[in-house]
Amino acid sequence: MKRLPSWAYGVISIFSFLVFWAVGIYFSEIKIVMPGPWQVIIGFLRSFIRPIGRHTMTVHILYSLMRVVPAYIVGSLVGVTLGILMGWYAPVNAFFRPIYELIRPIPPIAWIPISIVWFGIGEGSKWFLIFLAAFVPVTLNSISGAKSVDPLLIKCGEMLGASKNYIFRSIVLPFSVPYIFSGLQVGLAGAWATVVAAEMIRSSEGVGWIIISSMDTNDVTQSLIGIMGIGIVGFLLAIIMRKTEDYLCAWTIREG
Amino acid sequence: MIEAKNISKVFSTKRGTTHVIDNVSFTVKRNEFVVLFGPGQCGKTTLINLLSGLDTPTSGTVMVNDKQVLRPGPERGVVFQAMALFPWLTVRENVAYGLKARGFAKSYWMERSSYYIDLVGLSGFEDAFINKLSGGMKQRVGIARAYCNEPEVLFMDEPFSALDAQTRYLMQEEVMRIWSKEKRTVVFVTNNIEEAVYLADRIILLTNTPAKIKQEYPITLSRPRDYTSFEFLALRDEISKNMDSTL
Repeated sequence: MKRLPSWAYGVISIFSFLVFWAVGIYFSEIKIVMPGPWQVIIGFLRSFIRPIGRHTMTVHILYSLMRVVPAYIVGSLVGVTLGILMGWYAPVNAFFRPIYELIRPIPPIAWIPISIVWFGIGEGSKWFLIFLAAFVPVTLNSISGAKSVDPLLIKCGEMLGASKNYIFRSIVLPFSVPYIFSGLQVGLAGAWATVVAAEMIRSSEGVGWIIISSMDTNDVTQSLIGIMGIGIVGFLLAIIMRKTEDYLCAWTIREG
Repeated sequence: MIEAKNISKVFSTKRGTTHVIDNVSFTVKRNEFVVLFGPGQCGKTTLINLLSGLDTPTSGTVMVNDKQVLRPGPERGVVFQAMALFPWLTVRENVAYGLKARGFAKSYWMERSSYYIDLVGLSGFEDAFINKLSGGMKQRVGIARAYCNEPEVLFMDEPFSALDAQTRYLMQEEVMRIWSKEKRTVVFVTNNIEEAVYLADRIILLTNTPAKIKQEYPITLSRPRDYTSFEFLALRDEISKNMDSTL
């Protein structure tokens, strides 16, 4: 038997899931509170034309992206900078490690009350939560990137006459790039997931809001439509990130 | 010129101390090709690290052209057993790394790197990434990188031990061809007796750990050498018999 292309397996997997869902609904009493897959898919597609609340799905997604993207970029920049410096310069690590380790286990949603006190109920508090969701994993992976640099390559740089700064730029940074990217992937997933929590702080738009508002109206279909939106956009963001990594780290992809 | 004076190296760990190099002294003349030859694990790599400045001796001094060696530097090029190439750089960027790092103008490092890439037979691969190359080609990059930095002396630490036998013979010929064209002071480490006899002006035979100099053999066979000639085989057997066995 010829092997199917890998995308075909993906299609079969999603299709089987939908069938399993449909059959489960059909044969059980859960259909009283739970819609079937077609209802949700059609509702999802319709939400691009007919608004949920005040906006269509496109606008909700754009609102959420407007919250996620800037906070994610700032969180990543701070995370990469701090992480690389901590990984490479022992005193920087000694100084920041304790405070970082204290912040690390705190889930972003635990900051909601504090963030409201600090930044109000507008966009500021949402940006703050998403910033944290991105910053924590990006920092961790950047630290391990800079720490894992092959010491022989450093010696090799010294042997060839490179200064400490040049070694940092030309060896430590590029060596860390694949590690940084796995941090950026985890951070992006975390940032996008946190938007739901962030939009629990008073908002009237965004994919997170779709879910929060469905709780008030007991609308399970709307809740599932929101979940679908979050899932699909998160999936697309991960693909964009993967493509960027493939482009920037051609040399790691070529390995093996 | 390289002068090693009474160098010793002791590694201290929690479990005790290991005496690796024991009071070794020798000199290498300008443009001489010296092979450090000894049984496996006898401390050859440690010795070359001491000579190149990658490590410092516990006692004794290493002088290169009358300057004491204290740290790694561009006057002393090293070709590593593990190659240690930069995988995110192309062949040219690897070869030109030292010159770029030291701030030479682009026209200069372009010209120099082209010359050495051509010398090691990698013309046409300037823009290839390292991971696309075979083992032999990678070590050619390692040799070109060390040469391109224009060091006073070159150290080669078992550069071909990771290569298959066929490629290894080829690379030995290549090193001789490159060296006869671009004469340098070379210290070459190996545990392969044929490689030693094929390459060396002089072989320094080391003992088992802690490594001492057991005997020196000037090799006066004319080049290019024939692995199967009577003189070659006689020298090979004589040196082999004198080598300590490893357990």
